[in-house]
Amino acid sequence: MSAMGATGNGSGTTTGTVTSQPGLAGALALPRGRRGAELIMLAFAIGVVLFAYANVGLGLNGRVPTGLATYGVLFGVLMLGAHLAVRKLAPWADPLLLPLAALLNGLGLVMIYRLQESGRNGNPGNAISTMSASTTTFQLMWSTIGVIAFVAVLLVIREPRTLQRYTYTLGAIGLVLLALPALLPSSISEVPGTGAKIQVAIGGFSIQPEEFAKLALAVFFAGYLVAKRDVLALAGRHVLGIALPRARDMGPVLIAWAASLLVLVFESDIGTSALFFGMFLIMLYVATQRTSWLLIGTSLFLVGAWAASKLVSHVGVRFAIWLHPFTYANVFCGASSVRVPCVPSYQLAQGIYGLGFGGLLGTGLGHGQPYLTPLVQSDFIITAFGEELGLTGLMALLLIYGLIVQRGLRAAVAVRDPFSKLLAGGLAFVVALQVFVIVGGVTQLIPLTGITTPFLSQGGSSLVASWMLIALLMRISDTARRPAPQPIQDEGMTQVVRGI
Amino acid sequence: MNHALRRVSLACLAMFLLLLANANYVQGFEANKLADDPGNGRTFALQYQYQRGSIITANNQPIAQSKHIGGVYSYQRYYPSGPTYAPVTGYDTPYRKTGIEGTEDRLLAGTDPRLAVRNLIDLVTGKPRKGATVQLTINSAAQEAAYKALKATGLPGGAVAIDPKTGAILALASYPSFNPNKLATLNGNALNKADQKYLNSPQQPLLNRAINETFPPGSTFKIVTSSTAFSTGKYNPDSRYYAPTNLKLPQTSNELINFDNLPCDDGSNPTGNGTVPLIYAFAVSCNTVYGGLGMHLGGAKLHQQANAFGMNRALRIPLLVSPSNYPPVSAPAFTAYSAIGQYNDTVTPLQEAMFAAAIANHGTLMRPYMVQKVIAPNLTPLVTTQPSVLSQAVSPGVASDVGRMMFDVVNQPYGTAHDIAPDLPGIRVAAKTGTAQTGANNTGLDDAVFTSFAPYGNPDIAVGVVVKGGGLGADASAPVAVQIIKAYLNYLHSSAK
Repeated sequence: MSAMGATGNGSGTTTGTVTSQPGLAGALALPRGRRGAELIMLAFAIGVVLFAYANVGLGLNGRVPTGLATYGVLFGVLMLGAHLAVRKLAPWADPLLLPLAALLNGLGLVMIYRLQESGRNGNPGNAISTMSASTTTFQLMWSTIGVIAFVAVLLVIREPRTLQRYTYTLGAIGLVLLALPALLPSSISEVPGTGAKIQVAIGGFSIQPEEFAKLALAVFFAGYLVAKRDVLALAGRHVLGIALPRARDMGPVLIAWAASLLVLVFESDIGTSALFFGMFLIMLYVATQRTSWLLIGTSLFLVGAWAASKLVSHVGVRFAIWLHPFTYANVFCGASSVRVPCVPSYQLAQGIYGLGFGGLLGTGLGHGQPYLTPLVQSDFIITAFGEELGLTGLMALLLIYGLIVQRGLRAAVAVRDPFSKLLAGGLAFVVALQVFVIVGGVTQLIPLTGITTPFLSQGGSSLVASWMLIALLMRISDTARRPAPQPIQDEGMTQVVRGI
Repeated sequence: MNHALRRVSLACLAMFLLLLANANYVQGFEANKLADDPGNGRTFALQYQYQRGSIITANNQPIAQSKHIGGVYSYQRYYPSGPTYAPVTGYDTPYRKTGIEGTEDRLLAGTDPRLAVRNLIDLVTGKPRKGATVQLTINSAAQEAAYKALKATGLPGGAVAIDPKTGAILALASYPSFNPNKLATLNGNALNKADQKYLNSPQQPLLNRAINETFPPGSTFKIVTSSTAFSTGKYNPDSRYYAPTNLKLPQTSNELINFDNLPCDDGSNPTGNGTVPLIYAFAVSCNTVYGGLGMHLGGAKLHQQANAFGMNRALRIPLLVSPSNYPPVSAPAFTAYSAIGQYNDTVTPLQEAMFAAAIANHGTLMRPYMVQKVIAPNLTPLVTTQPSVLSQAVSPGVASDVGRMMFDVVNQPYGTAHDIAPDLPGIRVAAKTGTAQTGANNTGLDDAVFTSFAPYGNPDIAVGVVVKGGGLGADASAPVAVQIIKAYLNYLHSSAK
C-alpha cells in the first residue's frame, strides 16, 4: 500500500490542523447531520417546482393547472419520503444533494408537462407528436421509481466498501448491459429516427441499459483500479519528464478504449462512448495520479474520434452539422427545395434559435416555441429551458449541476476508504462530463452527441439511474461525515498527543 | 488521491465555466443575429401569433395585411391584389423574406428597437404585440395601370414610375409576376410546393424585373450622350453634327448604321454625307450621329455622365437594386456602340425612369425611395422619409435642352414616339424610345425600351419601361408608359378636386 503514502500524508496534515486546537475539535467536530437544513431546502425546491408548474398553466392559457393540488401533493410526498429515508438510512449524508436532485427532477417534470400541453387542450403551439397526453404522468411514475431506487440503494448498501466485493460481477453486468442493445435486433434496440441502437424496447416500454451500465462500470473501475493502482502508478520509466507506464500495463486502457469504440461503431452512440471512456480515464488518473495516463488516454480518444469521423458517416455528419448549423441548405436539408449536398442541422439550429429567442430573461414558461425543436423533450430539453427561462434560468440550472458535482467531489475528498473515494470521484465527474457533453452539444460548444440531460430529459432509465447515482454519492458522503465511534474520551486525547 | 481529485474538480469547474460562457455568448451576444437568420422558424411563427403590420400604398390602400383567422395560429398574411404588388411587397416564408416584407421585417413584426418602449407598455397593460404599418410611396392607380399594361404585352418586362421632384417611386411593376398569397399559406406542403413551382418556373416570376434585371438601354442612352455633349458647353440641341448613312468605325470593318439602314435626313442632308441638328438626330434616333458624337466625346466622359445619372452603383430603395452598368470603354468603335446603348451598357427599368426624372427635375436626380413612412401601432409616425438628392446629373440648362429634345420625340411628326401623342390628349409628354438589339449578331428579338416624363414643363411623373423581346420601343413599351402616365395624372386630377 505504498501509494497510500500520498493520501496518508494528506490526511495526516488535516488531522494536524484539527488537533492543534484539541479542546475545540472534541466539542465542535461532533458533526451534525444537517437534516433540518436539508428539509428546509427541500421544501424550497418543492415550492419552486410548484410555482413553475402553476406558471406553465398561467403562461399557456391563463389558468392554474387543475392538477396542481394532486401533482403538488404527489411530488411533495415523494420527496419528503426520500428525505425521511435519508434521515433513517444516511443521517450524516450531504444535505444539499437531495434538494438539488429534487429541484432538477421537479423542473424536468414541469418542462415535460409544458411541452406535452403545447398545442393540446386549446393551448398555443404545435402538439409534439413524439409526446402523448400522459407523458408527464409516466415521467412522474418514473420519478417515483427513481426515488424508490434511491431509497433501495441507501437501504441495501449500508457501507460503500461492500460494493468492492462485487467488482467483477458488476463489471460483467455493466458490459452485458452496454452490449445488449448492439446484440439485439434493431427493431428492439434502435431509437426511432436516430439510428442509435441504445435501448431495449418491448411493447411500448423501453429502457436504456447504458444508464445502469454507467453505475455498474463505475463500481467496476473503482474496484479494479484500487486493486491495480500500485502497479499502474509506479512501474515504468520516465521519458522526457513524463512517467510512462509499462507496455503490459496498457492493457486495461486499451480494453476500455476498444470497448468505447465498439459502442460507438455498433450502437452509433458517440455520447455514451465518450462518457464511459472519460469516466474511466479520470478514475485511472485519480487512482494513479499519473498525468501520462491522461495524455495517453486523450490521444487514444482523439485518434479514435478522428478515425470514427472518417469511417462512420454518422460521426462525420455530426461534425459537419456542428461547423455549419445555420447554413440555409443544412437547416432545410431534406426539403425538396434544397438540392445541394447538405447535412441535416434542423434540430440543432432550432434549439439554438430557441436559446437566442429566449435571450437574457426568457419568454416565460408557456410563452416560447420550444415545440419547434424536434425531440425537444429529450436531448434538447435544456434549450427549452434556455428559451423560456432565458440565460438566467439556464445558468441557474448549470449551477445546480455544478453544485451536485462539487458535493460529489467533496465527498470523494472527505471519505477515507480509497475505493469509495474513487467511486465518488468517478460518479461526480461523470455527471459533469454528461452535462458538458449534452449542454455543450445543444449550445454548439462541441459537436452534438445525443445523451440525456440528467434528471431533466424525458425517459425513465436516465432518471432512475440518476437517482441511484445521487444515492451512491449520499451514501459515500454519509460514510465520510459519519463521526468515528468514540469509545472513550481519553483515548481521543491520547490520539491528539500522537498527532502532534 | 486527493491531489488528483482537486485537479479533477478544477477540470469540472473549467467545463462548467465553458458552458456558462458559451450560453452567455449564444443568448446574450448572438441573439439578434440568430433572430435574423432566414431559417429561424420562431421569428416566423411569431408573426402568425401577433398581428404583423400592414403595408399600404400612398393612397392608403392595403396591399399586405394580417387577417385574423383564429386557431393555433391567429393570423395569416393576405395580399389583396397579389401579383400586381408582388414585386413591391415581396413575400415572407421560412425560406426567404423578400421585398418590403424583407427589408422592413423588424418594423412589420414589431421587433424593431424603435418599437421597444411601445412593446414594453403593451406587455405591462397586457395588450398583444402589434407590428408597425409601412406606408409606401406607391400610388395604386399608377401601379395597377403598370401591371395591367405590362401583362397586356404578354412579354416579360418591368416598369417604374417616379415622382421626379422627390424621387418617390409611384409604381414598380414586373411581369410575369407571382401570387404571394400562395406563399403565405400555413400548410407546409402547400408552401413548399408553391415555392418550388415559382423557383423552377422558366418564366422566373420571382425575379423583380423592375429593379433586378438589366437590359441594354438602346437609344435611350442617347440621353446620356446628349447630356455629356451639352455639358461640355460646345454643343446645344441646334448644333449640327455629321450624319452619314453608314458610319465607318476605326480599327474594324464594321459600320454603324441607322435603324433599317435609313439615312439621317431632315431635308438638309439629302446626300447622306452632310450634317443634321442634334435635336433632329435625337427625335428620329440616328445612330450614326450619336455613334460619331460618342466617339468624339470619349468613353471616359460618357462613363462620368452615366455615373451622374446613378449608374454603376447599387441602390437601396430600400429593396436592393441591381446596378445599371456603363463600364469605361476605351476603343473608339466600342465607344460608338456604347453611346447608342448597344455595347455592354445595361440598365434596369428603374434606371430608365431615373434618366427621365433627372432631366424632368432640372438636372437634379432625387434619390429613389419607396417607404413614405412607418406608423407605430398607436398611430404615431416612427419614420418619415425626407426626399434627398442622389446627384446633380446635369446643369439645369442642359436638362432643359435635353428635355426639349425629348419633347420633340413625341411632338414632332418625325419623332419616334409620335404615335403615342393621340393617346394622351391634352398631356404634354417628353420621351425617348430605345430598341435594343440582343443576342449574337442581333438574332434575338429586340428589347423595347422607353423613358418619359409628363407633363412637360411641370412634370409630375417620370416613367421607365422595358419589355423584353418587345421589338420597337415605341411599339411595346411606350403604350405601357402611356397607361401609367394617364392613370396617375387622372388620379392627381380627381384627387385635387
